[in-house]
Amino acid sequence: MRSAQPRKPVDDLAELRRLINQPERDKLRDLRDRLDDKEQRAHEVAAILPEAVTLSGDRSEELTRALRPAVEGSVRESIEKRPEVFIDALHPIIGSVVRRSIAESLRTLLQSLNQSLEQSFSWQGLKWRFEALRTGRSFAEVVMLRSLVYRVEQIFLIHRETSLSLLHLSADPAAAQDSDMVAGMLSAIQDFSRDSFKTGKDEALEEFRIGELQVWIAPGTHAYLAAAIRGNPPRELRAALEDAIERVHVLRGSALAKFNGDAAQFESLRPELEPCLRGQYQAKKTSAGTNRAWLALALGAGLVVAALIVGIQSEMRWQDFVRQLNAAPGIAVTQAEKGWISKSRVAFLRDPEVADPAALARAAGINPSRIRFEWKDYLALDDASVLRRFEKRFGKPAGTKLDLTNGALEIRGAVPYEWLARVQQDGIQSPGITSITDKDVKVTYDPDLALGRFRRAFSPPAGVIAKMENGTLLVAGTAPYEWLAPVRENAAKLPGISRISEEHLQVAYDPKLVLQRFSDRFSLPDTVNATMKDGILVLSGEAAHAWLMRVRPGAPTVPGIKTIDERNLTDLDLRAFQQSKSVIESAFVYFLVNKDNFATEGFAALSRLPDEIRRCLTAATRLGLEIQIEVRGSADAVGSGKRNAELSQRRAEAVRDFLVNCGFEPSLFKTMGLGAPPAADQPAPEQADRRTAFKVVPKS
Amino acid sequence: MIQNKVCLLGTSGVGKTSLVAQFVHSMFSDKYLTTVGVKIDKKIVQVDGTEVMFVIWDLAGDDDFQRLQTSYLRGTSGYLLVADGTRRVTLDQALELQKRVAETLGATPFVLALNKADLAPQWEVDEAQISALAAQDFTVIKTSAKEGAGVEEAFAHLARRMTASA
Ligand SMILES: Nc1nc2c(ncn2[C@@H]2O[C@H](COP(=O)(O)OP(=O)(O)OP(=O)(O)O)[C@@H](O)[C@H]2O)c(=O)[nH]1
Ligand SMILES: [Mg+2]
Repeated sequence: MRSAQPRKPVDDLAELRRLINQPERDKLRDLRDRLDDKEQRAHEVAAILPEAVTLSGDRSEELTRALRPAVEGSVRESIEKRPEVFIDALHPIIGSVVRRSIAESLRTLLQSLNQSLEQSFSWQGLKWRFEALRTGRSFAEVVMLRSLVYRVEQIFLIHRETSLSLLHLSADPAAAQDSDMVAGMLSAIQDFSRDSFKTGKDEALEEFRIGELQVWIAPGTHAYLAAAIRGNPPRELRAALEDAIERVHVLRGSALAKFNGDAAQFESLRPELEPCLRGQYQAKKTSAGTNRAWLALALGAGLVVAALIVGIQSEMRWQDFVRQLNAAPGIAVTQAEKGWISKSRVAFLRDPEVADPAALARAAGINPSRIRFEWKDYLALDDASVLRRFEKRFGKPAGTKLDLTNGALEIRGAVPYEWLARVQQDGIQSPGITSITDKDVKVTYDPDLALGRFRRAFSPPAGVIAKMENGTLLVAGTAPYEWLAPVRENAAKLPGISRISEEHLQVAYDPKLVLQRFSDRFSLPDTVNATMKDGILVLSGEAAHAWLMRVRPGAPTVPGIKTIDERNLTDLDLRAFQQSKSVIESAFVYFLVNKDNFATEGFAALSRLPDEIRRCLTAATRLGLEIQIEVRGSADAVGSGKRNAELSQRRAEAVRDFLVNCGFEPSLFKTMGLGAPPAADQPAPEQADRRTAFKVVPKS
Repeated sequence: MIQNKVCLLGTSGVGKTSLVAQFVHSMFSDKYLTTVGVKIDKKIVQVDGTEVMFVIWDLAGDDDFQRLQTSYLRGTSGYLLVADGTRRVTLDQALELQKRVAETLGATPFVLALNKADLAPQWEVDEAQISALAAQDFTVIKTSAKEGAGVEEAFAHLARRMTASA
């Protein structure tokens, strides 16, 4: 707390000074603060800077000069770091630079086009020109004012690669033909716009306007169309242009691709492009003026003449087309009407296999879409169509010649078997073919197909290899006989196989089947047992001679049997014959002494003999033998030799007579009188010598 | 008649437009109007007795400000490479340009025209350099668009080179 003290004079002075100086000091402090405070200073400089720069600029260039390095440096740095800012900023300016450049080119182009227009001397053109002179308007202006909706003034067909003009059409034939330069300029404009606006390669400029003219571009692969049009064309015109350029490519695409600078070859495309040179005029306002009426009349007459010319041309083309259509094989025109406004109509019968009528129309210079084709399918029966249909169905082998005359088909030359077979089977059903002759053909066989047929027919077993060589079927490997047998018999009947070679073939026989075959063929008797051993037929048991006689030569012909072993087989008939023979030959008929009467001892033999002889004869017949029985009479040694010879003969005859009485043929017996046996020292009347004996011998 | 697209290439101001004017219209002007984009002209020339039409593309000069637009070169059958004999640097630029063009077009016939031959005192290209170029199979022709000397000849040589390579 302050107490009241007496004041000093010094204090007062200080107080006074403070009072006087305080405001200045405050200001000074403020000033110092302002100078020290950077932020504040910036604010203040900002407030006066614009005015200062303006003032400086008014007075001299010094500031500009001083600022230049800094500004340039910062601009450069900024461009390097953030170019997009500058691009955005400069874009509008660049655009206008480009536009100016295009405008320059367009102006030259317009001049060229206008020049050709100006030189047109059509009647209407003259009229308009006169009006232009009279009113002081530009010619083009007058044209626009007078009723024109649009008119395609010029058409350029331009080669894309070289920018050269291929064809130039002008609505006004008298127009100057500086198409070459115009073509170049049109291309240049497109190139320029494409490069400047960085559009894609295929995005070309499609339309642009130069004064009163519009230029429409219809692009194509090798060439494009440019149409210079006055007025306001309808959208359909674009379609027409695109159509035309497409047709141009269809017709002359390859020529366009190979274009070497010679434009004359595209002159033929002129009719394709002519329809694009079209125009449309506003309907005339009715006017009472005689002048106008006269004008209309003249115009009408002109139109009629033009229409007539166009009409005659079109009619001629139509007639030509109908004639060609009718002449085409397989087409018969029944009705044809040329339509002038509506579509034309052609009705015809058409063989489905013949030329395309639309293609014929195109060839005759007529747009097929302008024709209504009405047809009914039919089968053409002229030789050309019939033959074509036949060939389409059956094909025509190389080397084969086909001639068709009035439905008679003659086939000559080399003909593959399979083809001929098909033709022979179905050819006559091909409509229009009435007969088929193939007497002069040389049938050829494809070895593979022949082999295929063989395989299908006989399915060769595993182990058999078959192949064809010059018509011979070579079979190799090992084949079972049962498979081979039908092959041998039938394979050569297959087409393409003339014979079979088994040179390298081994035949395998199944013994069971061989025996089966054997017994099937020779009906094996129950008494015979047959087995196979290494191709040898082993027979045992007993069999009739007749059977044996068949088997002996026959068995080796049975496939699989090489020879027969019949050592253990008995011939039943031979055995019976041998038995009877020995029975007969051991029978004796005894006689009374000195008589030719049978002694009782002989009766036993006599009673047995007839049966035995019969048995022997049967067996002999079976064996195929003809026999005779010698009846040998003899006498005992008593008595003279002469008498004995006589007696023995009589005794033999007595036996023979007995046997003939029993029913045997006399010729079966041969009687012999043997007399007495060679005399012993002491002849004795032996019963054993008074007898007749028998011997079975082959018939002499 | 066979048409051919030919181009004139070279630095700005070497006289391309003047050469075309002399060749096509037999005219010359001292005034210099730089070409913007492209100017197209045509002339029929005789090559070995047959007539050939040149559609001539006079392209804007190629320099630092304006690069040559290569799309204009498409379909070119031959070109006249123009240099200004009084400015040595334009010859170097022309040779440089030729290499770039060959990359775009492939091997295409061309003739090198050393223009402004009438300004002999200021000539900067020496004969040694010309013969060095000739040795590289360049056809070098001195032309004067102003006086007409060598102009016909330059185009005729080009035409012959083109037919030879066709
Ligand atoms: N003395 C002389 N002057 C020439 C000759 N050729 C051209 N000039 C002049 O050179 C200048 C340029 O000529 P241009 O023909 O316009 O040159 P340019 O090559 O077309 O130039 P850009 O179109 O800009 O590429 C003009 O002033 C011409 O008069 C020549 O042979 N002799
Ligand atoms: Mg120029």
